[in-house]
Amino acid sequence: MMDIVISMGLVGIMLSMLGMGLLIAYYGSSKTRNVGFLFLIIGVGLAYYLTMEVTPWEEVAFWNGMLAFIGGIIGGIIGIIVFLIAIIKS
Amino acid sequence: MDMTSNFELMEFFVSMLIVGIGVALLATGLFTSYFGAGKSQKIGFALLFLGAIILTLTYFMAFGGIDAIPTLFDAKEVDGDLKFMNALISGVAALGGMIIGMFAILFVLMKVDTVDDLEDLDLEDLEDLDLDEELKKLEEELNQADDSGEAENNSENSEDEK
Repeated sequence: MMDIVISMGLVGIMLSMLGMGLLIAYYGSSKTRNVGFLFLIIGVGLAYYLTMEVTPWEEVAFWNGMLAFIGGIIGGIIGIIVFLIAIIKS
Repeated sequence: MDMTSNFELMEFFVSMLIVGIGVALLATGLFTSYFGAGKSQKIGFALLFLGAIILTLTYFMAFGGIDAIPTLFDAKEVDGDLKFMNALISGVAALGGMIIGMFAILFVLMKVDTVDDLEDLDLEDLEDLDLDEELKKLEEELNQADDSGEAENNSENSEDEK
């Protein structure tokens, strides 16, 4: 149980670091851009740690967890779209 | 290792998809029914009701309890834990990780002194500007433009009279 919580938590941090790091490194200027590159390096480091040290990629439990995560996000997006349609149509 | 052998699409993906829809409808319904007025408020109550029904059905589909509702999200035990609970914990852990990452990024960005970006702007020119003088210049330009326009009109009228 704790393995799943830790590995999925690290995946979440890695995704946000990579995503935000890319955006900040591309659109930022001077100091902000440097911070963006730092976030990118942290994200890549976490990805390396997850693949090389924790090796969750070979575990079915990890991919089941990823399925649950992606399913939850898609479900949330569908729910918000339903809300928007209901509000716009009214 | 065959990684596709034990994927539980029904227990992990579909169950969380429905939970996600339910939570989103519940949250947006709460928000709209509280802050909305008139028609919007009624829509908010409908969304709230729909979200509550979806989450209740998901609970019964996962844990059973009512014979009429089949336990689609099979609550078989895996290492002593329910599969549905594993999926829920995985999703919540990943979302929690993302939120922690976002907070860390915001914290670092707020702590880093990004004021030096403003050095690119030539603020000294702005400080040297005398707004009153600029306004007077603009007014003079506008007056000159009006005067020239009137002079042109007068000349056209006199030509017409001839």
